[in-house]
Amino acid sequence: MVKELVGLNFKQEVIDADTTTVVDFWAPWCGPCRMLGPVIDELSQEIGDKANFFKINVDENNDIAQKYRISSIPCVIVFKGGQIVDTMVGFRPKQDMQNIISKHL
Amino acid sequence: MTQRYDIAIVGSGPAALEAAINAKIRNKNIIIFGNKDFSGKLIKAPKINNYLGFYDIKGTELKNHFEEHIKNMGIQITEERIDSIYAMGEYFALMANQKQYEAKTIILAVGMEYGKQLKGEEGFLGRGVGYCATCDAPLYKGKSVTIIGYNKEAEEEANYVSELAAELHYIPMYKGEYDLNDKIQVINDKPIEIKGDEKVKKVIMENDSIDTDGVFILKDSIPPGQLVPGLEMEDEHIKVNKNMVTNIKGCFAAGDCTGKPYQYMKAAGEGQVAALSAVEYLSEI
Repeated sequence: MVKELVGLNFKQEVIDADTTTVVDFWAPWCGPCRMLGPVIDELSQEIGDKANFFKINVDENNDIAQKYRISSIPCVIVFKGGQIVDTMVGFRPKQDMQNIISKHL
Repeated sequence: MTQRYDIAIVGSGPAALEAAINAKIRNKNIIIFGNKDFSGKLIKAPKINNYLGFYDIKGTELKNHFEEHIKNMGIQITEERIDSIYAMGEYFALMANQKQYEAKTIILAVGMEYGKQLKGEEGFLGRGVGYCATCDAPLYKGKSVTIIGYNKEAEEEANYVSELAAELHYIPMYKGEYDLNDKIQVINDKPIEIKGDEKVKKVIMENDSIDTDGVFILKDSIPPGQLVPGLEMEDEHIKVNKNMVTNIKGCFAAGDCTGKPYQYMKAAGEGQVAALSAVEYLSEI
């Protein structure tokens, strides 16, 4: 399941997490984000027991978007031990996303 | 629900048309996107002597033969420009303006008509460089944005972005009247390079440079790598194997977009192989 993150729980859920964490930065006005949404949902169902999946609305969480220098969305960031281990900018096919995330499980 | 086609063919040059007729012969439900001239290159060719079966033929004449051929087979070109194609896993979503089409497989036959990239363009992609201003504009609220516009439609996007950005520079790459609001600064200079460190900082032009936080490059035709996010390229061509299979499952490519030589016969041959590969793939899924 992909959980919605708000600024308040970002540190707890992402930075302090023990598991690999995948965060999808998106916004409702972004077409490619809407296409990527279902792809992320499917991935979370397939590998959700090995990684946590979150989405974060950049409109509502401007400070976090700024902090991670999000300049184009969709942007999917993979965190491990509080560190960024991979960044994917723009839409990616499911296969690609799966390969990249799997490297960090 | 949207109709899901077996094969969507993007382009209407020789590779695309040959793919279409072969897919049709194999009784597949197809859609082909392009324009009624088929190919700008074809109608401009003064004389063709290397297309087997047609000696000393004009491009426009060959185009008429193509037209008659597809008409006889009940194939119609859908006159829409595909802006992006998303590999959703089991199918492809093709976006044309506000419309969306779905297909199980796609054949890219988009030719090689897009211009060269600017220096730094690829390196800063997603770190300040973008191809869809309306998509990313809200991220540049209160910042400085530069739009390099290759067509009139770019002006509309520029007007929209100017409402959000603190300042907007517009570099037109064409001549004409610009329908832009007063806030926008028009810069008549030729962009050469995009520079920065972690993110975009500057656009270097022939005579001057601009400090900027973001650069949007808005062109007529989209390089295949941006058209289909995740598509593997080899230099400026789509990477394919001898069955015209790309790195994305269900996505095939044919014609000039896969590499040299840029010839009608080669394009048509590849279109045929791509269609047959797509048919085979469809029988497996």
